[in-house]
Amino acid sequence: MASLVTGCIGLLVAFSIILLMRKDKLHVSHGLGWTIVAVAFTLLGFVPSLFDKFSAFLGIASPPILALTLAIAILVIKILLMDIERSRIELRNQRLIQRLAMLEAEMRSKSRKENTASNEQRLNSGTKNQ
Amino acid sequence: MTITALKDEGKTMLSSVAIMIPAFNEGEVISQVISEIREACDFPIFVIDDASTDDTILKAKKAGANIIPLPAQLGAWGAMQTGLRYALRHGYDVVITMDADGQHEASALQDLLRPVSQGVADVSIGACTERGSFMRKFAWILMKKFSGLTLEDITSGLRVYNSKAIRELAGWRATLLDYQDIGVLLLLQSKGIKIADVKVPMQPRLNGKSRVFNSWMMVIYYMCQTLILGLSKRQLARRYHRPRVVG
Repeated sequence: MASLVTGCIGLLVAFSIILLMRKDKLHVSHGLGWTIVAVAFTLLGFVPSLFDKFSAFLGIASPPILALTLAIAILVIKILLMDIERSRIELRNQRLIQRLAMLEAEMRSKSRKENTASNEQRLNSGTKNQ
Repeated sequence: MTITALKDEGKTMLSSVAIMIPAFNEGEVISQVISEIREACDFPIFVIDDASTDDTILKAKKAGANIIPLPAQLGAWGAMQTGLRYALRHGYDVVITMDADGQHEASALQDLLRPVSQGVADVSIGACTERGSFMRKFAWILMKKFSGLTLEDITSGLRVYNSKAIRELAGWRATLLDYQDIGVLLLLQSKGIKIADVKVPMQPRLNGKSRVFNSWMMVIYYMCQTLILGLSKRQLARRYHRPRVVG
């Protein structure tokens, strides 16, 4: 029964990921990793004996401990990768904001110069007309 | 000797100097700060507005400064780097950075410019170790121990950068820094840039508030972040430039 529940959860996760990708809510590159996780989840859910065999192969007495340790390790790596990605995005974001500020400053200075020039031109033409 | 006289000596690349002042909600004091600088020298003044919610832009513009308006808040260093990038883009050879809170005296610029203009240093830092509370001084000791820096005043915002230093600090490596102290100094040091301390007088803040030392939580966060940064970027071999204290 337990294997049926975990297997169904795996299927549900896999289905949700594909749905999110279809609706463009999740980028394919992120979806790929999550699909692998969901497939592994489904497989181990329906056939938990696979994990028992794997644990026995590694010489670990308690398979659930191995499962939990692996899950935590994968999550930690994923969070670390997410922070690396976030740093990259922050960097780009900050450079863009700076660039926008510089362009606005240039635009302001240009329009100020143009205004001064046109005012001078008007003044000059006014003097000539007089 | 006035700054114009220093310029006339032709010792340096003081032909294109810009003053950069990052500001966030400094509407009360920015006019006074700009006026004092304008009385002391004729270098163009740029105020980098860090998405202020008050009338900082209006007041700074009225006082005669050029405005670089950030559309989103980037913090003190993010704003300062915008100024440096702008200076690089527009061919300024020397950038003077000052705080917008009135702590820095415009009369000190002359002494501060000298080491850079004479080629003794690439960066000069206005040092005033007398300022600050016991806690601030303790923080300085910790920061120096962790980072291996031997400069006098590592948190001072009164600095002069030459084109070599501007180029380094305008790059992406400096973008992810939050503060202009340890991270910036270690980055400059790693690139072989010569940094000099120049003793200058400083005034108490006109508005009485520090952006970093605003609350205890901020102080703890700042210290943890700065110390980790200092440790991670510390040069293992002691091959850094020993700063020369001028003045």
